[in-house]
Amino acid sequence: MTDLAERRGAETTVYQPAEDSGLLAEAAIAEATGRVLEVGTGSGWVAERIATADDSADVEVVASDVNPHACRQARERGLDVVRGSLLDPFRDGVFDTVAFNPPYLPTDPDNEWDDWMETALSGGRTGRELIEPFLDDVGRVLTPGGCVLLLVSSLTGYEAVIDRVEAAGFSHEVVREESYPFETLSILRLTQR
Amino acid sequence: MKESLLDIICCPLDKHDLDLAVEDREDGEILAGTLTCTDCGETYPIEDGIPNLLPPDMREDAPA
Repeated sequence: MTDLAERRGAETTVYQPAEDSGLLAEAAIAEATGRVLEVGTGSGWVAERIATADDSADVEVVASDVNPHACRQARERGLDVVRGSLLDPFRDGVFDTVAFNPPYLPTDPDNEWDDWMETALSGGRTGRELIEPFLDDVGRVLTPGGCVLLLVSSLTGYEAVIDRVEAAGFSHEVVREESYPFETLSILRLTQR
Repeated sequence: MKESLLDIICCPLDKHDLDLAVEDREDGEILAGTLTCTDCGETYPIEDGIPNLLPPDMREDAPA
């Protein structure tokens, strides 16, 4: 699984759970508290795992996506779903936890598909074109003491993401890390300094 | 959507509160209706229980 063409497979509308989803779900089940937002929920699988985890009594999960097909799949799982772009439709200071498995694959702009799978996978030329505006805005929606769980792939440029995390005023710890043949996936837990 | 979602959502353009108008409600969930920004007046649809809070220029169903 090295590039968009292989990863997107036959699915053309909604990103389905893969290794990255599993890692984020595992971290979120362990770390998420209070009111939880999953941004870019796709099929809604991760959000559902958080909402139905054994000790989920104290969590309340909201899922969002820009893709209408994803929103419908997530709602079919019984989730509260909002269609929107990143954090734009959310109020200040309302989430204790924000989880995000961003579109992160670097993509040549001349080699794009212009379909919903590309929206789910492509992080633009750098791989960071969604991560950057997300990091710039996510502090606004967090409660005091709230945290962000962000999936970062080595394909996206780990150090470049960390630089941006720090510039946005967060400190980070790695709460999960898993290596695959073509990438290493990390889940960062970000808290405001 | 549940009415309690109004506590966490806002107009994506200016972050002001949204006024809810319900067209169809079932088992405490709002299935259809509109959300209108109390400041700029922009209206956002609720369809099949999902509020669409994309700004108007991103609202069409095809990706950019």
